[in-house]
Order: sequence, then structure tokens, then C-alpha cells
Amino acid sequence: MKQNFPIRILLAAAILLLSTSCGTRRSQPGSVRTRWVHDPETLDPLLLPNQSAIDADYLLHVGLLQADYNTHSFAPALAEALPSVQLIGDSLMNLGYSLRPAATWDNGQPVRPADVEFTLKLMFCPGLPNETARNQYRFIRAVHTNPKAPRQFTMVCQGQAVEHAQASGDFFILSEAALDPRGQLRRFTLAQLQHWPATTPPDSELQAVTRRYQAGVAPLAPRQLPGCGPYQLVKWEKDRYLRFRRKPQWWGDRVRPTPFVLQARPRQLDYLIIPDAATATLALRRGDLDVYPQMPARDFARLRASPTARAELSFYSTPSHNVVTAGFNTRRPALADALTRRALSQCFDAAGLLQATQQGAGQRTVGLISPSDHANYNDSLAFLPFDPNGAAALLRQAGWQRTTGKGWFRRKAPAPRQQLRLLMRYRSDEETFATVALQFQATTAGLDIPVTLQPTEAGALSTALRAGDFDLYVRVLRGNPFMFNFTPLLHTQGVTESNSTGFSTPASDRLIEAIAAANSKTERARLLRRFQALLQREAPLVPLFFLPNYIVASNKLQGLRVSSLKPGYSLMGVGPRRPSPTPAP
Amino acid sequence: MRTGLAVWALASAVFLLSRHDLDTAVRLQLPDAVDLAAARSGPAAQRATQLAVQQRLGLDLPLFYASRDSGPRGHAGQWRWHGSRNQYHRWMADLLRGNLGTSFRTGTPIAASLGHALAYTLPLTGTAALLAVVGALVLAQRLAARPWWQRPVRLALVGLHALPLFVVALGLLLIFANPEVLAWFPAYGLDQPADGELGVWSRLAVYAQHLVLPVAALALTALPELTLQLDAALAHELRTGYATTARAKGLAETAVVRHHALRNALLPIIAQIAELLPTLVAGAVVVEAVFALPGMGRLLAEAAATRDYPLLVGGVLLTGAARLLALLLADLLYLWADPRIRWQA
Repeated sequence: MKQNFPIRILLAAAILLLSTSCGTRRSQPGSVRTRWVHDPETLDPLLLPNQSAIDADYLLHVGLLQADYNTHSFAPALAEALPSVQLIGDSLMNLGYSLRPAATWDNGQPVRPADVEFTLKLMFCPGLPNETARNQYRFIRAVHTNPKAPRQFTMVCQGQAVEHAQASGDFFILSEAALDPRGQLRRFTLAQLQHWPATTPPDSELQAVTRRYQAGVAPLAPRQLPGCGPYQLVKWEKDRYLRFRRKPQWWGDRVRPTPFVLQARPRQLDYLIIPDAATATLALRRGDLDVYPQMPARDFARLRASPTARAELSFYSTPSHNVVTAGFNTRRPALADALTRRALSQCFDAAGLLQATQQGAGQRTVGLISPSDHANYNDSLAFLPFDPNGAAALLRQAGWQRTTGKGWFRRKAPAPRQQLRLLMRYRSDEETFATVALQFQATTAGLDIPVTLQPTEAGALSTALRAGDFDLYVRVLRGNPFMFNFTPLLHTQGVTESNSTGFSTPASDRLIEAIAAANSKTERARLLRRFQALLQREAPLVPLFFLPNYIVASNKLQGLRVSSLKPGYSLMGVGPRRPSPTPAP
Repeated sequence: MRTGLAVWALASAVFLLSRHDLDTAVRLQLPDAVDLAAARSGPAAQRATQLAVQQRLGLDLPLFYASRDSGPRGHAGQWRWHGSRNQYHRWMADLLRGNLGTSFRTGTPIAASLGHALAYTLPLTGTAALLAVVGALVLAQRLAARPWWQRPVRLALVGLHALPLFVVALGLLLIFANPEVLAWFPAYGLDQPADGELGVWSRLAVYAQHLVLPVAALALTALPELTLQLDAALAHELRTGYATTARAKGLAETAVVRHHALRNALLPIIAQIAELLPTLVAGAVVVEAVFALPGMGRLLAEAAATRDYPLLVGGVLLTGAARLLALLLADLLYLWADPRIRWQA
């Protein structure tokens, strides 16, 4: 009896736990629970280290312009309309903005052009870790306000690229009154702060502004920075969850008709940090989760095949702007010529890979522009064929000679004899890349081309690519339908930095510069089509396919908007599903 | 004294080694070149940004008190003395003041991050370690009495020992938190956002429910090694002369095990138990990832992936200190278990 006593206590505790734990938690009315893979780390609206942070800041803050998932374009948010564009000379651009009359901070004070100017100055304020934002918005040189029209202002921008009009409004506006009530930043012009000498320390007043800002954006700070967005942060348990609650009085409600970018229907949003995909799938099945974005293709297919899951869940799939790409190290003598690269490109079975890794969803492509972007995609080009025999013929044209069982060799005087053997690197944690690499290895093995696969940790891969320690890589390039700057990726200027392939020719450099400087969408589309043709001809990169974006949501919700734009979905129109009317007898 | 020196040597080695990969660390703080949306500026501007980040993080300073210039054609040049204006000196000075620095990525103080993670990790790993040790003591004593189930249980323990932690964790999850099998326990986390509105006791019950599967996964993987080792040691002790004498005096087998053999059999597993201490501190990254729990394991794994070296060095320092403490503790436990062992000053 005495010996059994602890066992009985344990048994009683187990029964108690089981009795309270069975069953699942259902969502509170008006609340939506979404899975995030990572914690946002910080909600600093000028830092935005990851996608979770960007998504969270879109709830707390509003920019002048925001992406509209309906039209796949930038739409006015705090701004009343898209900016008017005025080209000045051959290197400057004036962008005229007007703020919405309804736009106010939580205390009812209107959002003013001074807040826009303050935010830009804060980006360049010494002592803040805003190096990335500074780099991105340095093209805005000044903000001119108009005393006669208190909601209007003009941004003076360096350069005349068509992208400036969108980029100039793509940052969150912060309150000058909350962060700099004494107007200390007004003592300096934007240009002065942009050219602040690194050796000059900021004065005590500037330090006070930066301290106030950092206190408001410190991770897990009890009072986060006030924003003019529709939600406020209620709770943030690091690496566990974040809860946002809808402001009862939000200025966006007064805008009629409410544009898509100002919709905010859910009363409460819970973002649950669940790193493991299998755990997140279980949570969705148990009803602990309402929306599961970026679900792996295999889990998506498995759930959709299950009748029970189909009865409880809704399945969405959209094309994304992320393209799986193979890249050649063109610095290697064996890969320096386009013919060899084109030959090897024909050893990728893009259609088969799409089927194997994405269950057939996603899109094949001829280049780095998504086929969904009809204006810029070059549909006159043909897909690269999967043709090992054609590859062998092209290799012979490139001067390679096959010695059966030994491989391919060529001699290009004065260089020593070359052998075609490849080291292929890819991220070790990505199943899709491993499949691509294995398919390529299997095909080239049939052609006597030895390929060594080297799955590499993400940080080490970045170092290896920069150091040129590879022949071939596989990775994802993340694109979008708004900005097309290929300078870091394929320009001569980027060869020692982010241009991993080392590819550049005078013609491609000129084309990349022309695309970046194009001042009309038509001109840019024409240049982008030429660029895709050039890339297919030179083949430093082999764009294989655009990845699909899989989202699964509880079918108790309605109004979920899915899109090819990041993060692939919008919860702003989501509400409980209304019961369908019972048909009359 | 020796322990203190060992901690200092460990910390210095980790700090200096981490500085060899700073280029990657700085680049990972910036937008990736594969993100075409973030690439609004040219490579020259990106280089300037990289330099600015290095300057802000103090990585533009010399690494150590002295360095050797690179001479012409890659040959080593002359030695240069930098005085106290170097990264190592600043880090060590801060460390002596109890300041572990701030995260490269978020600017959060490292001590706060580690403290926050430990608050979640210690209850999890501590409970699992306690259960594993108690379970091993109970089970090994029962096995020593050679019951009929001795062989199948030993086989089961060997089988369990062969399973990796992620298999055990996922297995428990898919069996006990799966609506298609048994949805007895929650699938992830420590609670739900809505649970904040519950009373203290209800919240404790919710917390306990959430901990059952992760603690079980950790305890089940630690249990076989401890049990099998103790079982073997007990079997050895029970074959010795003093155990036979005890039996001859008429003691029951359980009494022989508990009062005579156990203390001697504990000697080999003291080191194993002491080994659990650094594990308690370092967390269990697999279990934390599978059950979506915050803690040291995830914190350090993410710090390693993002090359957040101040955080990583802080974590290594803490874990290293725990390991050295564990060795000290093991020495003390040996002293208690076997008085013949004498402390050598």
C-alpha cells in the first residue's frame, strides 16, 4: 500500500491533466490565428530584419503607399493619390504628394508632411542602426512643404527612375510629436543628416531623440512606438506569440469607400511562432491555428487528399515571385563560354522538377521575370529544353571532346587541358534544392560529366559563393513586380560583392544600367524583355521555375486574400464565415 | 582558480575564433542579394553600408593587442601594437564588468536574452533531468532484482537509446497530439494567447499540459543511458563478496541493493549525471523546435545561423561555465560517494 502511494498520486495527476487537456482551443470570435516561422526579433519600422517584422509593422504603421493585392501595384495609403511626377533637368525628379485629410494619429492630431520629413531625417540620424534604410532611401534629397497647402509636400529625388515613384512612399511614417516633441531634428536639413561626418558625434539633443526612438522599438519593450496603423500590440511573448488588437477608432474607417490597403476587419490577430512544419500542420488540424501560410508542397498535397481535412480547411495556391535558379561560376575557364553553360542548362529537367518538388504547381519560366508579370515577361522566348543529347552536341560545338568513361576534355591554348567536372553547392536545409541537384547529377552522369554535390549551411554558402568556391549553385532569387535592379546580381560593379556568377559584359552592363534608369514603364518593359533574351543566350543563370505559394486556412473564415506579393496573403478582409442560407423547402 | 582560468581561456578562444567569420556576420545583417526588391542601390552603396555596420558594431577596430601587417605578395609583414584600442580588450573589459555585450541583430543586451531563454529552458530540462535520474534509480533497482520483465525492458531501453531525439519527439507528437490518433496533449507552445486571461491555477495546469510531451521526449531519451549503466554497475556489485555476505546475513535482495550495492554502483554514473548540467543550460534545440518552445537551444541555434556572435559567445560562455561547474560537482559527488577518494589540493 505504502509503495503504491506515489504511483497513485502520479496516476491521479495524469488523469487530471488528461481531463483538462483533451480537446482543442477554438478561436475567439473576430480573432484570427496565423502561423509564423520566426519571431520578428524587433518591431523597429526602420530596421525590418525579416518578413515577420515587416508583416507586424504593417499592422502598427502606415506608409504613404502600400502594395495592393487586388491590383498588384502600389496604391495610396496615407497619401491621397499616387505621387505626381515632374522631371527636373536630366538627373532630378520631383514627386508631389498630398496626405489624406482623414489620416490622424491615435490622439486625433493629423498626420502632417512634417512627420514624413521627420521620418526621413530619423533614418539618417546618427546613432541609429539604420544603415539599410539609409542605403535604400538616400535618393530622396529633400522634402519641401507648402505652408498654403498643409497636407501637400514635394520630395526631391536624385535620378529619374520610374521605380522612385513607388519606392519614395514605401516606408512607414512616424510621429514627430511623439518622438521629437521639441523639434530637435528641425535644426538640420535632410541633406545635412545624410552627409553627417562619421567622426562627428551627435549632440545631446539628437541623442535624446535616438534614445526615445530606441526605447520605443526595443524588442519586448512594454510600450511600443505609437503608429497610425489599424492595430496596436497587446502582447509579445518572444518566440511564442504576438497579439494585436484592432483600434476601436481608426482613421482608415472614415475613408469611404475604404480602399483595399486601408481595410482592417479582424478584431484581433494572433501570430503564433511555430518553427516546425509538422507541428504547425497538427496545430491546424486540431483547430489551434486558423491560417497556415507557406505550407510545404508535400504537406499541402497530403492534406488536400484527406477527406476530413477538406471538410475543415480551405486550400489556396498562388504563383510567387520567387524563382529557383541555378548559377554558373563564369570565372572558371571551363564555364567561361556561353556554349558550355547553355549545354549544361539543358541538363535541368525543369518540368519534371516542378512536378517532383511542387506537385506540379508553380510556373516554368524563360527568365527572372515572373510569367504572371505580363507587361515585362518575354513570352517570345521558348523554355529551355531538357535535352541531354542536345547538351552533348553543344558541348562538342564548344570544343569539348568526350572520352568514354573518362569524361569531357578540351584544350584552349594557351590554357592547360580542361576537364569538365563540377562542384555544385546549395543550401543543405532545402529539400527542393537537393532534388534539383540530384536530378542534374543523374543526368550529367549519363553524359560522363562528374558532378560533386556539396550541401552547405546558409551562412557558409553565402561565404563560398562570394569567394567563388563553386562551379554551380542552386538557390532562390526573390523578385517582385515593382523593382528591377539587377546591378548587384549581374553587373561588373557587383563582381567582387554579390555578383556570384562573376558574369558581366559591356552589353549586359549597359542594359542593366538602362533598366535601372528607365523613366517610363513601357521603356523599362522593352529593356527587360531584351535583358531576358540576353540572359537566356549567355546563360550565366538558369531560371528553372517560379515557386508556388501554398496557404491553408480554416474554412470557418472567409475573406482571406491570397496574392503573389509577399507574404502571399492578406488577413485584412477576414471575418467569420456566415452560414449559407438554408434553401427554402 | 583553475576553473576560473579555464573559463577565461574558453571565452577568449571562442571570441577570437568567432572574429574570423565577421564578414559573413556583417553581410547577414544586411538585405540578401537574392532579394531583388531590397536591391535598390548599387554594389558601391552596399559596400558603404557594410562599412557603416562594421563601424557601428566596433568591428573596424583591430582584433587583438598586436597584429601582423600583410606584406607584399601576401607575405607576412611587420608586427604592430594597437594598445588597448582593440576588440578583445573592449570585450574582456565589458565582460569583467558583467556586460556580455549586445546582439548584432537586435541590439538587445545579451544577458537579458540569455536570462529570458533560461527562464523557459531550466524548468523544461530540469524537470526532464530530474525525472530521468529518478526513473533510472527506480528502474535500475527493480531490474537488479531480476524480475521476469528484466530482459524485455532492457531490450526496450536499448531500442529507445538507439532512437534520435527528433524521432522520439515527433513520435510522441504524432501519437499524443494528433486528432487522428490521440489528441490528449497540446501540440505546441506553453500556452495560447487567450490563456493569459485564466486564473493562476488554470494557467499552471495549462502550462503543465504543454510541458508533458517535451519533458517526456527529453526524459525518455536520457533514461536508457542512465538506467543501463546503473543496471550494469548494480549487477557487477551484486556479484561481489560484500553483497554475498549481506545475503548470508539474511537480508532481502531489495535491501542488499538499496543499502549495500547502490552507493558503490552510483560511482560510474555520477559523471553522467554531472554531464546533464551543461545540457540543462544549453537547452534542447530539437525539442524546442518541434514543440515550438522558446529557450536556450533555439536561441543559440538561431544565433549560429545568423552569425550573431555576441549572443553565441555569451551562450558558449554560459554553457562552458556550466560544464566546468559540472566537473567540479562530479568531483564533490565522488568524494561523497566514496570516502576513499581524497581531494588533491
